[in-house]
Amino acid sequence: MIYGGGVDVGSTQTKAVVLNERRAIAGRSIISTGANVTKAAEKAFHLAAENAGIAPDRVGYVVGTGYGRYKVTFGDTQITEITCHARGAHFLFPDTRTVIDMGGQDTKAIKVGLSGDVLDFCMNDKCAAGTGRFMQAAADVMGLSLEEIGPYSLKSQNPSKLSSVCTVFVESDIMSYVAQKKKVEDILAGVHKAVATRTVSLARRVGIEDEITFTGGVSRNIGMVRALEAALGHKMNVHEDAHFAGAFGAALFALERAEKLCAVEVAKVDLTGWSDGEEANGTAG
Amino acid sequence: MAAERQYQGVVHERSREIMSAWYDDLARAAKTGEPSACLMISGNCVEILRAFDIHPIFPEVNALQMAIRKQALPMILKAEQMGYSGDNCAYVKADVGFLMSGGVGPTGTIPSPSIVVCNYVGCNVYVKWFEHIAHFCKAPLFMLDIPFLREKAPSKDDITYVMKQLQELIALCEQVTGKKFDIDKLREICRYAARAEDGWARAKDLCKAKPAPFDAYFDSINMMGPINVLRGTKAAADFFDAAVAEYEEQVALGAGPLPEERFRIITEGPPPYPYYRNFRNLFAKWGAVSVASTYSTVGGLWEYGFRHDPERPLESIAEQMIVHNLTNRSILDRYQQIKDYVERWEADALVIHSIKSCRLFSAGQGDMREYFTKELGVPTLLVESDLEDPRYYSEAQMKNRIDAFFEALEHRKLVNA
Amino acid sequence: MLTEVLERSRGLVEDTTYRRALDWKKAGGKVVGCFPVYTPVELIHAGGMLPLGVVGGGTSVELAHADSRFQSFVCSIAKSTLELGFQGRLGLLDAILFSSICDVARNLSSVFKRNFPGVHVDYLHYPQNMSSAGVIDYMESELRRVRDNLQRVCGVEISDDRLSASILVWNRWRALIADLYALRRDEPQKISTVELYLLFRAGTLMPVEEHIPLLEASLAEFRSRTAKPRDCIRVVVEAAFCEQPPIGLIEVLEEAGCYIVDDDLLRGWRFFDTPVGEEGPPLRSLAAAYVDGSTYSSVRHDWRKKRWEGLIDRVRLSRADAVIFMPAKFCEPALFDYVLYREALEKASIPHLMVEFEEKMWTFERTRNEVETFVESMLFD
Repeated sequence: MIYGGGVDVGSTQTKAVVLNERRAIAGRSIISTGANVTKAAEKAFHLAAENAGIAPDRVGYVVGTGYGRYKVTFGDTQITEITCHARGAHFLFPDTRTVIDMGGQDTKAIKVGLSGDVLDFCMNDKCAAGTGRFMQAAADVMGLSLEEIGPYSLKSQNPSKLSSVCTVFVESDIMSYVAQKKKVEDILAGVHKAVATRTVSLARRVGIEDEITFTGGVSRNIGMVRALEAALGHKMNVHEDAHFAGAFGAALFALERAEKLCAVEVAKVDLTGWSDGEEANGTAG
Repeated sequence: MAAERQYQGVVHERSREIMSAWYDDLARAAKTGEPSACLMISGNCVEILRAFDIHPIFPEVNALQMAIRKQALPMILKAEQMGYSGDNCAYVKADVGFLMSGGVGPTGTIPSPSIVVCNYVGCNVYVKWFEHIAHFCKAPLFMLDIPFLREKAPSKDDITYVMKQLQELIALCEQVTGKKFDIDKLREICRYAARAEDGWARAKDLCKAKPAPFDAYFDSINMMGPINVLRGTKAAADFFDAAVAEYEEQVALGAGPLPEERFRIITEGPPPYPYYRNFRNLFAKWGAVSVASTYSTVGGLWEYGFRHDPERPLESIAEQMIVHNLTNRSILDRYQQIKDYVERWEADALVIHSIKSCRLFSAGQGDMREYFTKELGVPTLLVESDLEDPRYYSEAQMKNRIDAFFEALEHRKLVNA
Repeated sequence: MLTEVLERSRGLVEDTTYRRALDWKKAGGKVVGCFPVYTPVELIHAGGMLPLGVVGGGTSVELAHADSRFQSFVCSIAKSTLELGFQGRLGLLDAILFSSICDVARNLSSVFKRNFPGVHVDYLHYPQNMSSAGVIDYMESELRRVRDNLQRVCGVEISDDRLSASILVWNRWRALIADLYALRRDEPQKISTVELYLLFRAGTLMPVEEHIPLLEASLAEFRSRTAKPRDCIRVVVEAAFCEQPPIGLIEVLEEAGCYIVDDDLLRGWRFFDTPVGEEGPPLRSLAAAYVDGSTYSSVRHDWRKKRWEGLIDRVRLSRADAVIFMPAKFCEPALFDYVLYREALEKASIPHLMVEFEEKMWTFERTRNEVETFVESMLFD
């Protein structure tokens, strides 16, 4: 049996997946990233292998992805999470044409080809609100947990208006609403709506085509799912494992690579040392 | 693992030599009190200053030098203490901070200008910048107002207005230097300018070769000093002869700046000078070479045929300032320039480096992206940072976006192959 | 009557569907948008067309498309004006005029042109070298170019005679606006800035012939008001000449204890210190007014008299105690000028406060605190 491993090192969580050659999930894990990124990557990968009931070295090829991908030092190559999320979303929903990925650091809109390849992508502006980290900040201001704010926001009949695009401004807006004793659900609904509006605007830059798949950590927030669907005027695919999409994508690439390496002896493409002292190979083939 | 790539060659060395000689001239002028004048890079009229032996000072070059040597931030902070906003152009802030710190920079002493000549060619920040320099240095300000190119061609009245002002500038130079204007000297200067422009255009044209002999974004800055600052001198004309010889040889050998040219890109927007090498390496890693760039044309669009004309020196200077430079033309003209680069330089993709400081470049680049991806189907990457302020560069984010972009391009290449 | 006029004005100002202009359009009229700062409205008016102030989306427009064209570090007015276009609210325009006020406005004119090919977009390059012997000739030529384009594209005639007549009308209008300003300066208890602003701005959204009688009648009513002066400080508001602050922010300034005795809100619509010449060739008069009769401005270089000297004059003439510098977020011309204004104000010992705004801001608590503290520091000094 040939196995491929994908490790997605995000800013808050690290996810690992091991796929077998039938492209089924043999094992997986999810842990907090914490301060030591390399250690988290290793641990997540080992847990996934353990979950699959195999020794880590049985996994023929490992692809690292996410912000900490270059810290997956035991891996064979690194691929950005944009490429991996596209592939992972396509794996979960084969008719996906548009991926909206909302993670801790970034929000991305990806236009996807028939085989899950990236046709175009856009990411949020540098200083604009609309990421998981921002949702966390909003939750903190309200004294709620990240898990609570989505369902809570759904109770609102009258979302508050939050029109600024600047994270700092939005935070002070929220504070001022709290001071005015506005209903918590209305403020939260306003936060979700503001983020959704910005995200849909981002998605328009790549062109929105059906089907739309929502991935990344924030896809577990039902409030955001509803707000996005309202802003899009359209249903989205949301998989219960959507936050694993990046790791799935990475594992799929790893599996393909492992199969190829088994079939023929293909040398790894050497891109020579242009990076700043870090090993960095392309997706090759 | 190879050692960090050094980008070197005759062009780099000669450029450094003749630019250093200019810095030395400036330092000397600071001592002797010979007349000097501040001038802007874009679409400039350095030929006129040269005709009076007035030393040209370029505040943009001061700012650039500080940024690339990672000395800009303290200067920027100093300016912000004076009341400049975080949202103001950091080129200006670095230069003002530098001025307020005594004007001794990484390239030596920069003299306090005898006059400040603002060649207002599109960039509205130029006007403010030079107002501030004139105010702080207590120097006379000459506002050379160039009507923006807002129809297909400038009107007769546009040209008359600019010619009138050039004559007024000449009168001011006569007054400052006590020298009489010598049109034959200006003709000679224009002759040298045209020779340098021939070389520049030839070099840019050589990048149509596969592989391109040099990176028309990152390596072009070595030619931008000589063409924009030293234009009209024999040294600059000779420099371009040497540059063309080097690049022709490269083409003959089938050699480029990287061991392998895997992607040909067009780059739009000024570079992040505080992270110049770092940024370059993010592209080099993918074998991506810029075969043309818009930034290198802020001074002039010589690759499209314009030359200073010794027979009509002042008229040609006026035409260069109004028509034949990137900054005095609309962003829609820039779309067409880039489209032409994509087609005739046979590029795979467009990379837009959007910088906060320079809204002349960046305001509307989202629309540019729309045009290229949706109307023309050209793969386009937009990344953001700044040309001067190191606080706006996020390496992890930059790397992520660039890697993802080339992963997708590579996939497309494999599928199409 | 006054209450009714002010209510109607507020309705027009807060309505980004441009109701009154739509009626004009329905009646067969042509409409030309005027993006800040200065627009030669006489040219438009002389062609029988309606000059319409297009000054962003205020608080009412949510960006759905425009932020994909302009980045987050670009001012709000550029994006919201473009958004109005995407939402079809500018479909009534036959033409729109932009000018050389800043790099963003210039690029906006290009982006506008590409995205809305049905609207004639013209970009005016106003002269910046007021000392050149060729400057009035140039300005006249530029006005002629714009006039010829409007005639051609809109199919109207803009003759010298009609232009001369328009100059008279607009001189009258600007004189009435100046009267409002003078009244507020001399007896600020009789007219608040919010009232003045709403009434003034309504004039940029309706035919001038309709607005002049409203101004005349309102002026009489304001003058006859009786009110006791409040214990306020007198301030000049500077730097809000392009993007406009929300009405709520102006209210906050007044509530916090400021009599605004002069300001540069919508500066371009009252750009001249003296009336435009009413004799002689009208294009020449307009050109001369721009070169020699304009107020100081952050978007007009004039080294004959420094801008900050203009500001100090304005403070003296309005007998103001202080300056509130109120630039729009990301407005480069204003933010650059702040440095030299500040230096001059400090030299002249004139207190000042910097308050940044965005047109769509809607919470003012922080600003209120700042302004109140500033006012207190002056009153209880």
